[in-house]
Amino acid sequence: MSPARRKNVSPGRALVSALVASGIFFAACASCWSVLATLLPDAAQVEPTPLPYSGDALRLAVSPEKWALVEEIVNQFHAAGHTTSDGRPTRIQLLEMDAESMVDAALAGEVHAILPDSSLWLDILDRRYAEQAAVQDSLGVPRTLTSGVTRWAISPVVIAMWEDTARSLGWPDRPISWKDILERAQRDSSFRWSHPSTSSASGLLATLAQFYAAAGITRDLTPDLARSESVVRYVSAIQKTVRFYGEGEWTVIQRALQEGKHYLDAFVVQEQLVVYFNRQPQRPARLVAVYPAEGTLWEDHPLALIETPNLLPIHREIYQALRSHLTSEATQQVVLKAGYRPANLAIAINTATSPINPANGVEPSQPQTTLQIPSPSVVEIVRDVWWLTKRHANVYLVVDTSGSMEGEKLARVKEALVTFLDQIKGEEERVGLVAFSSWVYQVEELNKIRDNRSRLLTAIGELEANGNTALLDAVWEAYQQLQRLGDRERINALVVMTDGKENNSWLSLSELEDGIRRGNSRGVPIVIFCIAYGEDADMETLQRIAEASGGIVRVGDLETIRKLYKLMATYF
Amino acid sequence: MSRTRTIFLVIVGIALIAILVGVTYVLLWRATPSGSPLVPTRQSSEPIQVTIAAALSVEPWVSEAAKKFNTEGHQLEGRTIRVSVIGMDGLAAMGRYEREEMDPFPTAWIPDSRYLVELVNATFKTKLGRDVFLTDGEYRARPIVISLFAWGIYKSRADVLEKTFGEINWRTIHDAAIAPGGWRDIGGKGEWGYFKLIVPHPRKNIGGLAAMVSAAGEYYDRPNISVEDITQPEFQKWLKELMGSVSDYASLGAYPGENLALFGYSAGDGGQLLESDLLINMAGSMNRWEPLRILYPKYVTWFDFPFSVWIGPETSAAEKNAALEFEKYLLSPPMQTEAVKFGLRPVLGQISVEQPDSPFVAWSENGVTPVVERSTAMRNPDRDVLLALLRWFDLNIAR
Repeated sequence: MSPARRKNVSPGRALVSALVASGIFFAACASCWSVLATLLPDAAQVEPTPLPYSGDALRLAVSPEKWALVEEIVNQFHAAGHTTSDGRPTRIQLLEMDAESMVDAALAGEVHAILPDSSLWLDILDRRYAEQAAVQDSLGVPRTLTSGVTRWAISPVVIAMWEDTARSLGWPDRPISWKDILERAQRDSSFRWSHPSTSSASGLLATLAQFYAAAGITRDLTPDLARSESVVRYVSAIQKTVRFYGEGEWTVIQRALQEGKHYLDAFVVQEQLVVYFNRQPQRPARLVAVYPAEGTLWEDHPLALIETPNLLPIHREIYQALRSHLTSEATQQVVLKAGYRPANLAIAINTATSPINPANGVEPSQPQTTLQIPSPSVVEIVRDVWWLTKRHANVYLVVDTSGSMEGEKLARVKEALVTFLDQIKGEEERVGLVAFSSWVYQVEELNKIRDNRSRLLTAIGELEANGNTALLDAVWEAYQQLQRLGDRERINALVVMTDGKENNSWLSLSELEDGIRRGNSRGVPIVIFCIAYGEDADMETLQRIAEASGGIVRVGDLETIRKLYKLMATYF
Repeated sequence: MSRTRTIFLVIVGIALIAILVGVTYVLLWRATPSGSPLVPTRQSSEPIQVTIAAALSVEPWVSEAAKKFNTEGHQLEGRTIRVSVIGMDGLAAMGRYEREEMDPFPTAWIPDSRYLVELVNATFKTKLGRDVFLTDGEYRARPIVISLFAWGIYKSRADVLEKTFGEINWRTIHDAAIAPGGWRDIGGKGEWGYFKLIVPHPRKNIGGLAAMVSAAGEYYDRPNISVEDITQPEFQKWLKELMGSVSDYASLGAYPGENLALFGYSAGDGGQLLESDLLINMAGSMNRWEPLRILYPKYVTWFDFPFSVWIGPETSAAEKNAALEFEKYLLSPPMQTEAVKFGLRPVLGQISVEQPDSPFVAWSENGVTPVVERSTAMRNPDRDVLLALLRWFDLNIAR
């Protein structure tokens, strides 16, 4: 640029011109961009950014009794390589939960779909949701949380009995009723029977049947009848004959396989589990399904979508794909093979190849009738009354506080013990706490939980780890206390937890075993449930203690200890 | 003017024109409803998506038709029409419309009956001051198939009922329902338990409400029912006894016909259900339990499944017109013929239900008839009657 021209343009004017030109240029660019932006598709539309796996996966809660089957079916579903409409893989994350927990998880928006054992739970869930949401249409129909309900497998609830026990009650020549079972249990103290708690469909049915029998009816159970003194007294007497409640049908059938006739004489499960049992090569004897004469209930295993706000379109797509997969001909054959009655009505169940046949202890033409399911409010009353009438328990928690428990191990156990206490809903249950390390400490005496809940919680919070492991002395101390109490009305049990090996007791293992066997036969029967916590726990010792009392051993770790204590609570 | 200044002014001019064009374009584009461009763009070649919310009883047929329709590649103004179908009970759909929870928003709705359309219209008339489904003109709600309520009762049970009571109707079903000893008192086997009626939960399935209306019609022996009728103590006592014989409202769900076949006489001896539901589940009933007998009531409750196009701004004009194309397809003779296989009665007069593979022929021995001889139809209940019945149900049965 020449010096003369530079001289013609003042610096201020040049700056203004440059600013104006720049402004117009940027405005033009912005304008062109806005035009292009409306013509070009959104960047997100061109290439969708896949969400992380955990967010995309359909979280499906499944009740324990069908976990193995659902896992198999979902594995087949994944293997088939289904994709969504925009090409993303359809993944399902399974979560094992009992029906009650499922209702809570659905209300909290923690699951996208549920597979409980019965539609009863969908009713309870929608009822609780309607109370919270209070959204209705012009006819007052409340909004529901469940949608797209699909049936794919059903099975009636039956009373499973050893064949000789059933014959002694008149099977198969005459129908056996709930009343027969209940009368036998009251008449014969050696008759051991059990049903799950009312948090499963089979447990609820067994409880309902007792209420109907008590009222002398088979339908029209009203709130007043369910609460009447005579009914409550009858149900209470029946509940005293229940050996213990327990984790649910699957655990019961597994224990029946392991322990045979020593375990129980009769128990309430779905028909499918009788088929499963009788097809096991190592079964100790044959079970038969008794379809109660007054009527039974169906476990209809509904699949339901949960309409939570965090439900994404991809979850809906996966749900639809899962529905189609469950009801496909191939999956329905898998369902039949597993001993369920498939929802596909084109599949016959009374053929030579069907597992629903008398050889497996079941009868395809049964049941003839069902008990009436009362309205949800009556069901709630039955469940509440059951908590009052159920057989109460005396439970000692026996907890290892040796040095090896220090740190996170003990912290997790403290959480688990609090969870256990939370699960004990009846205020009449008696709970005590014994801790052991080099010595045995009576931390909290056995007392009704309504009186000592807060003391127990404080004591749990103050537990400290140090010293050796006097496991056997601790078990014997708690065991003797229960024997001294001599309470035959209640379930008597110890829940023993250790992470290590016995190294500081005065008593030997064989002495303890002898003492337990002797005490259980002469005195009050006491069941010992053992938890082997971590890899270093002495499984053999725990197994021998549990076997001596007719109890069980469960293995836990940092991740599962809380759940294990929660399961243990279902026995009481 | 110097050359530099000329170039400067030209650049500024071009930039101003670009700004003007850009601003005008954006303003026009934004002003267009639903974001559809005024000028043809490459989007115009994209398919027109039509979503149909269909009553559960017709959903299988409509879904099959949609599959064929999509395969055949039907077009409207050069764009392919893609139809997707969502099965939804009429009451559930009504609630979702009213709570504005439809997602995806359906282009058209096929409810079980015209009165559901009227109920939704009444709600939106209060909200918006206009109907959302039309009753006349090109977009009017038009029946695409019909079906009716019929008694479906397991044969062993129906035979005993007829022998004991003569004609099967709501009054004799009531007598069976209140028999203190159950089937033993009625003349059947004691092991059958008490008489168990199948009625779906009226808050979950429109069939439950319709069954109560039908029962009220026979109780009063007339086809029109008023709120006063519903509130009569004698009638309420009678209805309570009748509805008290339902074994389980929780598990009957949205498919009562299917459930009747699935759980068999263990959960329900029979009930008044949609004829099409009974027909398509007849083979299943026989496969698992025993045949059903079909009987027609004195007062007939018809279901007309009207194809109702939503006329609000939530769907575009192209989508509405594409929905009409699908409606025409459903009304075509081949699709009407196809409907018969699903147990539905065609609305086209020239299509007979007596054709090969027709369930009306296959199950004629079970009582189904091509022509319904009963001539008195129950009138559609109004909102107040439905409200009264639902309130009664909540207070007396559901509690």
